[in-house]
Amino acid sequence: MNSVGEACTELKREYDQCFNRWFAEKFLKGENAGDPCVQLFKRYQLCVQKAIKEKDIPIEGLEFMGPRKGKAENSS
Amino acid sequence: MKIWSSEHVFGHPWDTVIKAAMRKYPNPMNPCVVGVDVIDRSLDNQGRLHSHRLLSTEWGLPSIVKAILGTSRTLTYIKEHSVVDPVEKKMELCSTNITLTNLVSVDERLVYTPHPENPEKTVLTQEAIITVKGVSLSSYLESLMANTISSNARKVCFCGKNSWALVLLNTMLKAQTCRIGPIVCTTFYF
Repeated sequence: MNSVGEACTELKREYDQCFNRWFAEKFLKGENAGDPCVQLFKRYQLCVQKAIKEKDIPIEGLEFMGPRKGKAENSS
Repeated sequence: MKIWSSEHVFGHPWDTVIKAAMRKYPNPMNPCVVGVDVIDRSLDNQGRLHSHRLLSTEWGLPSIVKAILGTSRTLTYIKEHSVVDPVEKKMELCSTNITLTNLVSVDERLVYTPHPENPEKTVLTQEAIITVKGVSLSSYLESLMANTISSNARKVCFCGKNSWALVLLNTMLKAQTCRIGPIVCTTFYF
């Protein structure tokens, strides 16, 4: 699966691999003594943040709401 | 506005379903999702894992719909927030589109929990609120989306050789926008 920034795809792949292993083998088994993928994530995140900025994707300032959290009040 | 909800039972334990849910892309059943990025991820003080992801999706809009909506833009973005609680065995996921919001908003919420009577099974409850704005065809489009959500929610497949590769077509905006372009996704039946 690609990243939003073409240049970040390889960094994403490395991070995903690390995360998926930790998630399945440690986290879900209740061993969450810390995420070993922090450094990989930082590198990947810097790249993604740059791509998001360049592509002007409006992720900032958006209040994230699930369906039960109020939109139903603005019924049309 | 259209509100839709559903429940589905998977014949697999919660852990297996959650692993699959976290890695459900790339998904040959849903080729409209072209990119997935983790924007932020952290553990809270209760040991729950929060993930904020950005999904990039490519629409397959027929030209007539493009003309009505007045846009030729086919790439749209969805923001997704999930919380996994490994102790309570609960995963909750909310997603909403963050582009084309002047035309349509789709808010979806999914909750995965173990089946109350059988720990070898997992229950997914799913709800979505769809609002198409300012378009004369809005009620038609909303119904089309709700129908598509309804049929996609039951599409479960096993792919690859690993049992975790359980794929559920459940992220609404991709599903229904693909369906608006009936050409794109409706061929992915099994």
